[in-house]
Parts: sequence; C-alpha cells; structure tokens
Amino acid sequence: MAAHLSYGRVNLNVLREAVRRELREFLDKCAGSKAIVWDEYLTGPFGLIAQYSLLKEHEVEKMFTLKGSRLPAADVKNIIFFVRPRLELMDIIAENVLSEDRRGPARDFHILFVPRRSLLCEQRLKDLGVLGSFIHREEYSLDLIPFDGDLLSMESESAFKECYLESDQTSLYHAAKGLMTLQALYGTIPQIFGKGECARQVANMMIRMKREFTGSQNSIFPVFDNLLLLDRNVDLLSPLATQLTYEGLIDEIYGIQNSYVKLPPEKFAPKKQGDGGKDLPTEAKKLQLNSAEELYAEIRDKNFNAVGSVLSKKAKVISAAFEERHNAKTVGEIKQFVSQLPHMQAARGSLANHTSIAELIKDVTTSEDFFDKLTVEQEFMSGIDTDKVNSYIEDCIAQKHPLIKVLRLVCLQSVCNSGLKQKVLDYYKREILQTYGYEHILTLHNLEKAGLLKPQTGGRNNYPTIRKTLRLWMDDVNEQNPTDISYVYSGYAPLSVRLAQLLSRPGWRSIEEVLRILPGPHFEERQPLPTGLQKKRQPGENRVTLIFFLGGVTFAEIAALRFLSQLEDGGTEYVIATTKLINGASWIESLMEKPF
Amino acid sequence: MDCYTANWNPLGDSAFYRKYELYSMDWDLKEELRDCLVAAAPYGGPIALLRNPWRKEKPASARPVLEIYSASGVPLASLLWKSGPVVSLGWSAEEELLCVQEDGVVLVYGLHGDFRRHFSMGNEVLQNRVLDARIFHTEFGSGVAILTGAHRFTLSANVGDLKLRRMPEVPGLQSAPSCWTTVCQDRVAHILLAVGPDLYLLDHAACSAVTPPGLAPGVSSFLQMAVSFTYRHLALFTDTGYIWMGTASLKKESQKADEYLREIQELGQLPQAVQQCIEAAGHEHWPDMQKSLLRAASFGKCFLDRFPPDSFVRMCQDLRVLNAVRDYHIGIPLTYSQYKQLTIQVLLDRLVLRRLYPLAIQICEYLRLPEVQGVSRILAHWACYKVQQKDVSDEDVARAINQKLGDTPGVSYSDIAARAYGCGRTELAIKLLEYEPRSGEQVPLLLKMKRSKLALSKAIESGDTDLVFTVLLHLKNELNRGDFFMTLRNQPMALSLYRQFCKHQELETLKDLYNQDDNHQELGSFHIRASYAAEERIEGRVAALQTAADAFYKAKNEFAAKATEDQMRLLRLQRRLEDELGGRFLDLSLHDTVTTLILSGQNKRAEQLARDFRIPDKRLWWLKLTALADLEDWEELEKFSKSKKSPIGYLPFVEICMKQHNKYEAKKYASRVGPEQKVKALLLVGDVAQAADVAIEHRNEAEMSLVLSHCTGATDGATADKIQRARAQAQKK
Repeated sequence: MAAHLSYGRVNLNVLREAVRRELREFLDKCAGSKAIVWDEYLTGPFGLIAQYSLLKEHEVEKMFTLKGSRLPAADVKNIIFFVRPRLELMDIIAENVLSEDRRGPARDFHILFVPRRSLLCEQRLKDLGVLGSFIHREEYSLDLIPFDGDLLSMESESAFKECYLESDQTSLYHAAKGLMTLQALYGTIPQIFGKGECARQVANMMIRMKREFTGSQNSIFPVFDNLLLLDRNVDLLSPLATQLTYEGLIDEIYGIQNSYVKLPPEKFAPKKQGDGGKDLPTEAKKLQLNSAEELYAEIRDKNFNAVGSVLSKKAKVISAAFEERHNAKTVGEIKQFVSQLPHMQAARGSLANHTSIAELIKDVTTSEDFFDKLTVEQEFMSGIDTDKVNSYIEDCIAQKHPLIKVLRLVCLQSVCNSGLKQKVLDYYKREILQTYGYEHILTLHNLEKAGLLKPQTGGRNNYPTIRKTLRLWMDDVNEQNPTDISYVYSGYAPLSVRLAQLLSRPGWRSIEEVLRILPGPHFEERQPLPTGLQKKRQPGENRVTLIFFLGGVTFAEIAALRFLSQLEDGGTEYVIATTKLINGASWIESLMEKPF
Repeated sequence: MDCYTANWNPLGDSAFYRKYELYSMDWDLKEELRDCLVAAAPYGGPIALLRNPWRKEKPASARPVLEIYSASGVPLASLLWKSGPVVSLGWSAEEELLCVQEDGVVLVYGLHGDFRRHFSMGNEVLQNRVLDARIFHTEFGSGVAILTGAHRFTLSANVGDLKLRRMPEVPGLQSAPSCWTTVCQDRVAHILLAVGPDLYLLDHAACSAVTPPGLAPGVSSFLQMAVSFTYRHLALFTDTGYIWMGTASLKKESQKADEYLREIQELGQLPQAVQQCIEAAGHEHWPDMQKSLLRAASFGKCFLDRFPPDSFVRMCQDLRVLNAVRDYHIGIPLTYSQYKQLTIQVLLDRLVLRRLYPLAIQICEYLRLPEVQGVSRILAHWACYKVQQKDVSDEDVARAINQKLGDTPGVSYSDIAARAYGCGRTELAIKLLEYEPRSGEQVPLLLKMKRSKLALSKAIESGDTDLVFTVLLHLKNELNRGDFFMTLRNQPMALSLYRQFCKHQELETLKDLYNQDDNHQELGSFHIRASYAAEERIEGRVAALQTAADAFYKAKNEFAAKATEDQMRLLRLQRRLEDELGGRFLDLSLHDTVTTLILSGQNKRAEQLARDFRIPDKRLWWLKLTALADLEDWEELEKFSKSKKSPIGYLPFVEICMKQHNKYEAKKYASRVGPEQKVKALLLVGDVAQAADVAIEHRNEAEMSLVLSHCTGATDGATADKIQRARAQAQKK
C-alpha cells in the first residue's frame, strides 16, 4: 500500500508501520463502535498514515469535523476527538460535550492529542468542567510523517512563524521528539551537525532526551551516519526564488497539499470520440504525486525544460508497446501481450496526466510576465542592481499584482543585498501600504522581524562574499543533463543544499568565514555508540545523512539533495526531514497578518 | 552412588521424602517456643516470635517482646509489644508481619520491626472477639481469615485492598471447629472446617458438606488439617491416628549418572540423563552434592555432540545465587523451585528489604541484568533508605547518593527526592532533583514543594513548552502580578510563550507586558490591531491609531509613525467621501480610493488625493490608465495620454486597449511607443509586416525571431521570407 516508502536507502515504511500500530492500539482501547471528530487540519496528514479502511476495520463508523455546539447524531458507543493540543480547540470540545443530549444513549468520550498531550489543555478542560467526561486521554506521537521514500515532514504549518517570530519552541520540541522516535527505530545517529539557533536548541534537547532515556540502551545498528540540522533562517533566499523543477513548479502554480494537487479539470477531459466535448468536468482534478508513480519519480526533480523530451520519448515507447499487438500472432503471444496490458494502460494514463500538467505549466512559464519576473530574480541572485528600486517590482505594485508575489520579490532583493538601503526600503513599504492597504503594515513588521526584509546595517553587503565562496551562482548551467545542483533554479544553487554538500566534502572547516557571516552558531556533536554497533563501511558504500530543515524546505531543495544522492561519486545519500513542505508563497503567507 | 539416596524415606508407594537441617539456629531464645506465637514466612522468609502472655498466667506487668529473626536465626528486630492481646501472627507475601489482635485490629510491621499501618476486620469481629485467625496467600496477595467468638468466619482475600467478607453460618455449629483452614479454588477463598466427623466447605454463598474419598472408616474427629502452598493438596490427621492425603505426590529426583554411561548411551538416553543430572543438582541443598551431580552432567556432556550448553550454564548461575542467599549470614533458604517461582526480581526485592544492597548488586552484576531492572533499581532503593538517615546532613546525603548513583541509567532521582520530601527534607529533595535528568519529573515535585521559580527554569531547560505553560499558570496564581511579571522578565523564553498565550487569551495583559518592557514597536502593532478589532466608530479607530503612532515615535520608527498618521488622515477623508458621495470608501487602500473616485467621475478629487498623499507619478499613470480603460472612456484616455510625456511609456496603453479588445485605440498608441518596444507593440496590434520592417531596421536578431514566431497566417509568408533574407544577409557580414 505504501511500497514507495521502502524504495530508498532507509526503509521509511518501518516508521509508517510503527505509527499505524500505535493508532490501532489506541482505537482498540475504546471498545465498540466509534465516531471520530477531527481537528480539520489533521485529516490531510493522517491520510498519509491510515486510509479510512483501517479506521473502519477498528469500528470507526462515522467521521465529523470539529465545530461548535452539539455533535451530530451518531449511533455509536464512543466519540473520539482527534485534535492538536490547542486551547481554542479545547473550548469547542467542551461545548460539544456539554451540549450532549442526556436523554439519548450514553456515549463514551475520548481525546487523542496529536502529537502530544498537554497539561495546559487538560487544565482548560478541567476549568470548563468536562475533563472527567473523558475516559481515555492519550497522545499520538505523530511527529514525522513519511511522505516519500526519502522524505519526512511534520506538516506543522506555523513552525517558522513560531520559531522566528514568536520565540515559541514548541515545534522544535516536537522535532526533537520525532528525531528520538526515528533513532528508536533506526538506531542512534552517531554524529550531529548543525547551523543556526534553532538547530542548536534541537540538538540540545536531543542530547538531553537521550540522557533521560539512558538505560533503555538502543541496540539497533545505526542506519543514519549523520544528522544535519539546518535553520531555515540560515538560508532565507532559496524559498523566495521561483522553483524551476517540475514538482517545484506544480507546487508554485497549483500548490501541493499532503502530496495531493488539485488541477483545473479542462485539460483532463476524457478524449473519446463522439462525446463532442460537451460534458467538461467541473470539479478540480485531484492527483496524488509521489514516487509510487514510475513516470513521476523520473521527472519530478528534473528542470522543467528537460521534462518535455522525456515525455515525448515515453510516448513513443508506449505507443510502440501498444503496436506490439499486431505482431502477436500465436495464442501464447496474445496472452503475453494481454498480461502486460494493465501495466501499459497505467503507464499511458500516467503519461496523459503528466502531459496535461506539463501543458498547463508551460502556459505559465512561457508567459511574458513569468519571464520578466524570472529575469529580475536571477539578476538579484547574481548580484545585479540589488541596491536600488527595481522598476519591474514598481510596475507590479502599480498594476496591483498579487501582494505575495510583490513581497516575495522585495524580500528576495533585500536578502540578496544583506538588507536594503533605508530609502529604498521605505519607498517599497510606502508603495505597498498605499496600494494594498495600510493594514499590511503588520505583515511588513513580521517580515522585518523574521529578517526577510530589513535595512542594511553597517553599510556592508555580505551577500557577494557568500555567493562567491559557496558558488551560489553558476553561469554555465545544464538543465538537460545537470552537473551541479544549480539546475533546480536554472543558475542559482540553493545555499542550504550547498552547505550540506560542502559538509560531506571537504567539510565545513573550508568555509569557516562564510559560516560566521550566516546567522546562528554551527556545531558538531557526537553520540557515542557501543563498540558492537559501530559501523564498518564497505569500500564504495555511501554515507546516509538525515538533513532536517527547521522552518520548512522547498521541492527544489529536495530535488537538489536527490541529485546529490544520485551522484556516482557523491559519497552521501540524503533523507530529508522538515517541519513543513513550503514554497515562497505559502511561506510568506504564513507570515502575513490580516487584522480584518 | 547409594549414599545419595541413603536419607530418602518412602512416603506411600511412589514417593520419597527427606529431612535435613538447614541451620543450627543462631538465636538465643529466653522462652520456650511452645509459649510463643510463632510465624515463619514462606520462601525462606523471616521468623517472628511473640511470647504469648495472654494464654498463660503470668504477671501482667511484664510486656511481651516481639522478635524477628532471619530463617537462620540472625536477629533482625526486637520491640516491646505495647498494643492489645494478639491472637495470631503471619507474614504477607510482601514480607510484612500481620499481627491479629483479639479485637480484630490487624497491625502491620516491616521486616525491621517498623510499624507500617493498621486496619480493622470490622464491627462484628470487634464485638465477638477473635477466637482464631489465619494469614493465607492467594494469587492476589495475602489474606486474613478470622474465626469469631460467635463461631462465624470473616475474611479478606487481599489486605492490600481490604474488602471484608462475612461467610455464611455453619448450620448447627455451637462450639469452635476442631480444626480449620483456608483453601483457594478458582480464585476464590473458601474455608474448610472440621466439626466432629464432618467436613464443611464454606464459600461466600453457602456451606456444603464434603467427604474425602477413601478415608478410613471410624473417624470421629479431625485433629489437624493442612493444605499445600498451591492449595492443590490436602492432609487430614484423624483421631484414629491416620493421615489422609489427597493426591499428594512428591517429585522423584533422578540419580542416574553413573559409570554405566555406555549402556545408557546405547539406549539413547544419555541426553535425558545429563539433563536430569543438571536438574537434580538444582534440587540439592549441599554444594558438594550439587558439584558432583554437575560434574557427572559435564562428564556425560562430553559424549554428546550437540547438547545445548545453556541449561547447564544457567543452572550453575542459579546455584551460585541460591548458595549465596542460603548462606547463614543472609539466611534465605530458598529451594530451587521456590526460587524459580519467586523470580530473580522478587528475590532482589527481598534482599533490598533486608538492606543487603551490596549482595543484591553483586547478584545483578553476576547475572548481567539490564541496569534498569538491576543495579539501578537497587541503588535507588539504597538511596531512598539513605535519605531517611536524619543524622546525616543534606549536603552529605546528596553527595553520597550522587557518588554512588552518578548517571546510572534508569535511576529516578525524583523518586528519591520525593521520598526525601516525604521525610520533611525539602532542601535535600531540591539538591537531589538537581541530578534528575527528566524535567517532566522534576517540575511537578518542585511545584509541590512550592519552588515554582526553580520549577520554571527547569521547565525552560527541558524545551517542553507545555511544561513551561503549566508552571507559568501555576506562578500566575501564586504570585502577585508585579512579582509574576518580574519573574517573566528574567526568563525571555517563558515571557515569549506567555505573550503568545495572552495574544489569544488575555489581550489586556499583553499590552501590560509590552508596557513593562518599553516595547513600543510591539505596542504600536498592538494598537493597530485594536483599531481594526475593537473599534467600530471612526473616532475610536483614529484614536487607537494615534496611540499607535505615538508608540512608533517612541520606538524611533519614523516610517511606521508617518504611515499611521497618513492612515488616520485617509480614514477621516474616506468617511467624508462616504458622507458626500455615498458608496463604500472606508478601509479601501489609498490606491483603490483614488481608483474609485476616477471610476465615479470624480477626477478632480482623485487628483487632489494623489497630490495630498504624494502618489508617485509612475504609479498614478498606471492607476489612471487602468481606471479609464475599465470605464472604456477612450476619449479621456487619449486626453490623459497627451497631458504630458508618459513616465511609463506607451506600450502599457497598447496592452490595455488590446485587453479591452479595442484594436483601433491600441493602434493610436502603438505609433507612439519608443523604438525599444516598438516591435512588441506592433505585434500586439497585429501589424506583422511593419513589425518585421522595424526589426530588420534594428538588425536585432531577437526581435526578428519574435516576429518570425508570429508569422502564422497565410498572408505572412512574404514577411517571413523577408526576415529570412535579412538574416542571411546579416550572417554574410
């Protein structure tokens, strides 16, 4: 069912099975028929762990969305609330419980906190007089959810905002807990590297937690060699730039949520003769995107400009395969052909879908505005005219292009100039407030607090030093047959991934100077292993590094890491973990504040 | 080999028994045993003696002494009995001494004579007094059964969870039964009693007569009865001098290891023989015997190819442990079967109970038990004992404990600290908590001890925000507001968490927090939010914004202050516009306000507004262009385009006209587009031929390809050729 999770170097199905087992055990504690009341935000991530069929096997008969007043009628023995530990949700639950119809059959209430029980929330339930109504109050430590064979996410929407704006480390604590769970399943990770304030905190918490757990000695042979913890604010640049990989562009244009994307239906109309194309579907086409789909696995991380040729090659192969039927003469040959049909048809369906998606994307990427925007981004990233007001941004504001697009560009310019001159910054801000409304002053404050938008201090622009030392801008990029990670942004090599690459070879000692310019401490910790568990690497065997992005990671960065994993002489394979899968738009949006 | 079985005595047809002396008792008894109440705990446990002054006529002034000995007679405790008359003594499974008083009160003592607690067997017992009592063991724990003066039985099957059960009456019972005992069947405790020649079984509902099968006739009374520890076997002693035993069969031990080895081997029984030698060694009490049996097994093993070694190794280990605890100084004469049933964990507990920590640790290390189950647990017990030594200073106790325990995995310092706190040693508890690595364990105890501030810093260290919140809410109730705020001020992480809490739960407090910290920037933002959320009336909104602007000035954020003042001006103006013109203006951006004015034909007011708020020229041109095109007011647009030289060029004019599908108007502006964008403009209005001419004239390759890509219609053939020719020519040069 989730075979694609076991394709990678590390079998993430082990984790999925572990969390599924935990879920089943909880459901079985509440004997009898059940209804689940969902904190709506959780349904997406849960879908990656357990389909409805699993819940049904454990007598879940109804599902509701958590909302105020009385619960819908359901003839079940148990009502289970699946919620994040948030005070506002506790208030709703209390309302539900208090307005329960006492004349009806008595129903048992339970709460499952995801990912952690909270004393604060239980106190609130107690204050509201309903704590005693719950028979089971448990936690479901679903911290890291497996998305793909090499990808884990906490899907914690506001993690970046909480960490960098509100100094709230809750998500870091969950991240550390998630890492402890991983280590319980995959062995102690012998070396921890990190860069950034949050990374330091997570490492501290891990070391502390390990001390708490000593005694229950972990005797699993370590699967991961290294852990690299990276603060998102060490590299604010990468998410701001437009991703140019296939998957990255799908996310930029349509938004991928919990591995699903919703697409305009027109392009997916069934092409049958005689229909006359009358009944165009009106509901969005929903597709799941992961490496379980062979074709998608092949093209997702390619630069979009290299996708077309793959698709047309695939088309030829598939139609050739279908032509084979004319050559099938004997009964045996026909049988052979028929047995391959399902696979061929699936491949044809997959090809049709991706051809349609590619067409949709192409409409966007060939537009003049996309080209203009990309040109400006690339100028900024390569260090051209970053210190003055940009006329394209000015025009975007004047034409009231989406605010997020404008903010993204202004922030990009600010980051590429180590902050803007006060005059330039004030000009942009004033233009934005006058055009989009004064209320966005709160959003601007947030961006400034997060360091995305700031005045240049000390009159010094450090970005060129960083760019040159880390080779962030590559002029000779090969989009078709890439030789460097910079292909994911057609020229810009994501800083975060470059740091990972340099760590594995030749080591960070070579870039001490740049590391000092970037925010937060960099560090290395060792977790001693008993001698019996120490790894003896076979010659030519790659290391496995778990890289954890605190504050979010983009698909383009993931693509770049996968590119490094696949390099023949790379020496390192990566498994990626993050608090949230983000893109520039969703990221900026999480920092926006709308007072009305 | 015969010597091994020399002391075996036959018991019935198929079983044997033997008797041997375990210890020559070390005690120095002043009383005759028969004058004492005696209780020996099962499983090699301790022995309690209480001289019984209530049965014999003795001077009442002399209080009896309760003495406790190990099974080898080593004195463990001795105390003067100051309570009431005792009828019976017995040991619970946890090795607690239960003393049943005549009034039905049961006093519970520890192994070292320390008083633990007491409980009563109920009113009925109190009124009728206790005639006789039995302590018995079930799978739930240890129970007490009472025979009262009214010849009724009351029992509790588990003294740990006291539930009294009064048993039904025995019909016709006028005097005490000649003998009785408790029997457990199907997890329920019953009473078996003998009255004359009859036997009765009492359960909680009824009394039924029972007859032992095959009992020799002529019995008129049963003198004694005994049940086996497992309740599976029963022995009755009759007045006719017989002992009746129900299915009593003792395990027969094997003694087959001898020099007829080859014969056995031929019979293929060698593995079995070796195994039996090993087992037999386990059941031997004397090390010499154990050794010779094990040697025999080891010898036999040599002739076997594949005899798994673990049973031999395990037996050697078990015997070493058993011999160690059987030692006279320790005095726990466990049999092998008892040891196996008890488990090593319980044996360790019993050593801990006797404060034999070093031996317990040696055993753990010898058996290589995981630290959490073994050494750590024992050290923790030792530490709990240590904190009760009140004559040692807090410093010394804490240091001694930490020296011994260090970072031993699995040791719960908080448990030890809780014990110290329980003994009233708060300071010691705090010192011990310092060594506790789990904050989740530290914090609740610190709160309980009213060390909230320390609890707060511990919670912060852990990174567990929920824990921090818990302490914060605790502190908030405990401290006055000023102190609470001061505490927060010293803990930035807690402060930011509390701010988040207030943002959602207590807005006013949030403001106070910002005020306390002179955080004017955040105060400004706070008032901006308030201007949207709290205020409906325009005056209120403006006032809130004024406060915000003042805060921004204090924060030296000139830009925000000015922007806020502009917004106040705009709000007042929008209100006036709504009054004068109707329609909706409030909360539109400045840009949209100007656009709305243009769309409603208020060009003059629009101009005025743009001037007042200094909208940059370029944006104003875009704004007007867009608004006029929306209105499709082409005349006004043309007038506007000619008002002065456009700061945004003329291509946007072409684009916007084409967007409104007005090619005619678009063409007017295409001619005015500057040379750089000319080709683009011409292509937009569909004039491919002219676009080609311009591109060729510019000798611009990019422009030429652009035009070429637009040459799609049949009429464009000539144009395409023209470009191709120009290109070819350019290449020649």
